[in-house]
Amino acid sequence: MDPAFKRRLETRFRGVLLGPVHQRHDETEIRVGPGDVSAVMRALHDEPTFRFEFLSDVCGVDTGVVMQVVYHLWSETTADWLRVIADGLSRDDPRVPSLTPLWPGAEWMEREAYDMFGITFEGNRDLRRIYMPPDYMAFPLRKDFYLPDDAARSPGAGVRHVEQSHAPVNADPSVTVRTARGA
Amino acid sequence: MTTVSRAWGRLTLPGKIFFTVVPLLLVLGLGGLIAIMLLGPLVLQILGDNLPLVRFVIAATAVLLAAIPIAFLNIFMEMKVIAFMNLRIGPDRVGPWGTLLSVVHGLKVLGKEDFTPTGADRTIFTLAPVVVFLGTVMSFLVIPFAPGLFGQDFNIGLLYFFAVGGLTVVGLMMAGWASFNKYSLLGGLRAAAQIVSYEIPLTLSVVGILMLAGTMSLNQIVLNQSGSFLDWYVFQQPLGALIFLIAITAEANRAPFDLTEADSEIVAGFATEYSGMRFGFLFFAEYVNMFIVSALTVTLFFGGWNAPFDWPFPISANLDPASLGIGLLILVAVVPLIGTLALAAPFWLMRSSMPTWQALVIGFVLFNVLAVAAVLGWAFVSWEWVVGLLWSMIKAYGFVFFFVWLRGTLPRVRIDQLMNFAWKWLLPAALLNLFVTALAIIVLGR
Amino acid sequence: MVTHSRQPSADDPRVLLDQEIGVFEPVPPYPPRTEREAEFYTLGDGEMFVNMGPQHPSTHGVLRIVLKLNGEQVVDLDPVLGYLHRGVEKICENSDYHHIVNQLDPLEYISSLFMEWPYVQAAEKLLDLEVPRRAEYIRVLSGELNRIASHALFMGWFALDLGGLTPILWSFIERDEIVEMLGALTGARMLFNYFRIGGVNGDLNHEFMSRLGSWMSRAATQIEANTKLLNENEIFVRRARGLGRMDREMALRMCVTGPNLRATGVPFDVRRAHPYSIYPELDFDVPTRTEGDSLARYLLRVDEVKQSLRIIDQCLHQMPDGPIMARIPRLIRPRPGRAYGAVESPRGQYTMYMISDGTDQPFRLRIHDPSFVHLGSVGRLVPGNLVADTMAIMASLDPVMGGVDK
Repeated sequence: MDPAFKRRLETRFRGVLLGPVHQRHDETEIRVGPGDVSAVMRALHDEPTFRFEFLSDVCGVDTGVVMQVVYHLWSETTADWLRVIADGLSRDDPRVPSLTPLWPGAEWMEREAYDMFGITFEGNRDLRRIYMPPDYMAFPLRKDFYLPDDAARSPGAGVRHVEQSHAPVNADPSVTVRTARGA
Repeated sequence: MTTVSRAWGRLTLPGKIFFTVVPLLLVLGLGGLIAIMLLGPLVLQILGDNLPLVRFVIAATAVLLAAIPIAFLNIFMEMKVIAFMNLRIGPDRVGPWGTLLSVVHGLKVLGKEDFTPTGADRTIFTLAPVVVFLGTVMSFLVIPFAPGLFGQDFNIGLLYFFAVGGLTVVGLMMAGWASFNKYSLLGGLRAAAQIVSYEIPLTLSVVGILMLAGTMSLNQIVLNQSGSFLDWYVFQQPLGALIFLIAITAEANRAPFDLTEADSEIVAGFATEYSGMRFGFLFFAEYVNMFIVSALTVTLFFGGWNAPFDWPFPISANLDPASLGIGLLILVAVVPLIGTLALAAPFWLMRSSMPTWQALVIGFVLFNVLAVAAVLGWAFVSWEWVVGLLWSMIKAYGFVFFFVWLRGTLPRVRIDQLMNFAWKWLLPAALLNLFVTALAIIVLGR
Repeated sequence: MVTHSRQPSADDPRVLLDQEIGVFEPVPPYPPRTEREAEFYTLGDGEMFVNMGPQHPSTHGVLRIVLKLNGEQVVDLDPVLGYLHRGVEKICENSDYHHIVNQLDPLEYISSLFMEWPYVQAAEKLLDLEVPRRAEYIRVLSGELNRIASHALFMGWFALDLGGLTPILWSFIERDEIVEMLGALTGARMLFNYFRIGGVNGDLNHEFMSRLGSWMSRAATQIEANTKLLNENEIFVRRARGLGRMDREMALRMCVTGPNLRATGVPFDVRRAHPYSIYPELDFDVPTRTEGDSLARYLLRVDEVKQSLRIIDQCLHQMPDGPIMARIPRLIRPRPGRAYGAVESPRGQYTMYMISDGTDQPFRLRIHDPSFVHLGSVGRLVPGNLVADTMAIMASLDPVMGGVDK
C-alpha cells in the first residue's frame, strides 16, 4: 500500500473519480466513468508524477448489472499495481474509448474483450472477433450466457443444448444471472 | 464333369501349381531352345555390331536398378547418423539395427494413395517426378567407380554430367508449378533460383581441373590422379575444391542450403502436394543425388578409385577353378560340411542348454559369413576393379556422411543470404581460382 | 485484385473452399468487418495470400497466420486465433477455487507452474492468507526449474525454426531431466497441478532431491555445451541478428513483457519490479540487452538460465523447515473483493485478476497471457522480412498457444 500515491491520485483526478481510491495489499484502485478513460489514461501515461508506461492488462467484466473495463498499470513511481476500472457501462450497448493510440498492444486485448463481452472500444481499428468464429452471435463471458453445466443449479436444468446464448425462456433472470454488485 | 476336371478338382494347391507350371516351362524351354538355335547367331551378330548401344542399355538398366538400393542406404544412413548426432537411437526395429527400415519406407510409399490435387496440371504434375528422377539417375552414367566400371566414358563426361544434372531443376520447377499450391510454387521458384545461381560457381570451379587434366572425360581425370594421395587434384586446387563442395551442396539441395523443401518455412516446398510413389521418386532422387554429388567430388578432387597409397604387399592370387580338378568337388561338397560342424562345435560344447540344431544353425551362418568374406578377400586381391570400387565407395560414403553431418549441425540459410553468397563470394572466388590456375599453367609451363 | 465479391454460400458461410478453382484462398467469404480487415484482404500488384497453419510444420501449436506476400517478402500478416479456444475463463467461473488450479495447467503446457502461481497468489490476497515460508521456497525452487526447462526448449525451437535439426533434441535432454525431477516432486511430468491456495501439494522428496543434486552438479556445463552449438554458429548468428528488431518504445507500447522486453533494454522483471514470494530475499540479477532483435532475445534467455541456477542454489541453501500448507478450509468462500496476481514467467508477466462475490466460485477470473500480447506484436515485426523469417521471429517471441487461445 502506498498512501502517498493515493493522495497524488486524489489530488490529480479530483472530480473524475467515481468513488474513493481503494487500496488493498499492493493494489490501488480507482474508478472512472467510461467517458473519462482516455483523459485519465493519457494523464497517467504522460505526467511525470505518474509515468505509467506499462499497460499490464485490459479486461472486460460483466457484473451482471453493468459492464466494466478494467485496466492494470505499472509504473516505477509507485510500488503498487494501479487498477483503473471504467465503471458503469450499459449492458445493452457497452462503449468505451480504445487505448490503442497510447498502447497499440492493447488492440488484441480489446478485441478479446469485444469477443467475450461485446464491449465496443471506440477507435480500435480492428475490432472483430478473435477467438470465436466470425458468425458467432453471443458473447460467451457475459453472465447471461449459459454453459450446459450451469444447468445443474439453474431453472434450465435438464436442457441439454450445447450452448445457449440466452437463459431458458421460463427462467427468472434474478436466479439465472449471477451478479456481483460490489465488483 | 469330365474325368480331367474331376482329377483337377482333387489336386491340392501345390499340385495345381506344379501341373500348370511344369508343362508350361517344358514348352517354353523347348521353344526357347529352338528359337535360340535359329535366331541366336543373328541376334549375336546385331548385338556385336552395336556394342556401344548394348553397353549403354545395360549400363542404364544397371544404374536404374542400383539407384534404389543406394537411396535406401543413404536414407538409412541419414536416419541413423543424425540420430546419433541428436543423441537418439534412431531406427532399430525393422531388420538388424533398423537397416531394413528404408525398405519398409519404400514399400509404404508404394502402397499409398497417389493423389493429384484438384486444379493441378495433371500431365506436368505426373511427369515432374520422372524428370527429376531420370535427370538424377542418368548423370550416374558417366561416373567411374572402378577401372572399367562405368556406364559410358564420354570425352565430354563432365559436360554431360552438368547438362543432365541440370535437368532436375526443370523437374523441380514443373513440380512446383503444376502442384497448384503456393508453398510448392515458392519451393519450385526457390529451387530454380538456387540451382541456376549455384550452377555458375560450380561449373567455374572445375574449369581449373579441366585445364590441368586437359580432358573432360571423368575416367581420364581419375587416371591422371593415380599414384599417391598427393596427386589428387584437391591439393592442386584447394580453393576450387572448396567452392565445388559448397556449390554442390546447394546443387543437391542439402542442408544448410535445403531451402527448396524447408519444412519450417514452406512445408515441403515443391513436394508438398506429392504423395505415394511420386513423392517416393522425388525423395529417392534427392538421396541418389546426394550419393552422385559425393561420387563426383571424389572423382574430380579425391582421386576417384585410386587408393591413397600403394598397397605395400603386392599379392597376385590367380586361382583358376579349372586347375583344381577333383579338389573343386571336395571344396564344394566337403568344406561346407566340415566348416559348419567345426564352427558349431564350440557353441555346442560351451552351452549345455543349447539344442544341437541351434548350434548347427549358428555354425552354418558363421561358415557362410566366413566363406563370403574369403571370396571377397580373394576378389579384392585378384581383381583391381574390386579394390577400386571399394576405395571409391569408401570415399563417396565419406562425403555422404559429410553431407549428413552438415544437416545434423547447421541451421538453414535465408534465401537472400544464399544468393548473396553465390554471387558475391563464390563467383569471384571461382574466377580467381580459374585465373590463378591459368597463370600457374603458363608460368610453370605445363 | 481480390475483393469480397464472392457471396457466402447458402449452406454454410464458413466454407472457404472455392469449388470452381479448387484452391483454398484464405479470404473470408463475408464483407470486411473492420477497416483493418478491409485493408488486409485487398491485394496489391503482384501480391498473394498464403495460408500458414493451422497445420503447418512449425506453427507453435494451433495457430493460423494469413500472410500477404510479394514474392518471398511478407507485406502484411493477419494471425487468426481461436483454434484452441476452450473458454477457460468461463469454466473457471463455474469451478470452485481449489479446482481451478487444475483448469489452468493446460493453458501453459511448457511451464505450467507459472500459470498456477498468479492464481494462487490472487486467491491468497483475497483470503489475506500468509503462506508458510517453506512453501514459498519450494514454489520458487520448482518455478525456477520450470523456467530453465522452458528456456531450454525455447533454444531448441528457435534453432528448429531456423532449420537446425539437432539443438531441439539436445535441449530436450535438459528439459526431460527437469521434467522427470518435477514429476518426482509433483506427480506429473507436464501439467503439474502442484500449487495450492496457501502452499504446495507435497513436500520435497528423496527422488526429487537426488535428481536435482546430480543435475545441478553438471547443469551449468551442460547448458553451456548445448548453447555452444548455436552461439558460435555463423549461419545461426547471421540469421538471428537484426531479425525482428523491436526498440524500447515499441516494446512498451506493444505491452510486451518478459525476456522480449528485457532484450530491448527495459529492466522490467516482476520478480524485482513488483516483488512477490521470497524473491526480495534472493540475490540474482535481471539481465538485459539493448539490441532487441531475435539474437538478443535468445542470448537473454541463456543469461536467465544462469540466473535461475543461482536462485535454485540459494533456495537449496536457505530452505527453512516448517509446514508446506497454510491452514485453509476445504471450501473457500473469500469475502467479496478484487485481487490481482502477477508473476514473472519464462514468457513474460502472467497476471490474473480475480473477483470474488463471496461464493465458492470466483465471479470472474481474468487470465492474462503474455504470449497473446506478443503474438499481437508479430504483425508489426514481420512485415518487410522474408517468409523464412516469419516463423523465426514468432519463435523468438516464444508464444505458447495454449495460453494465447485460452
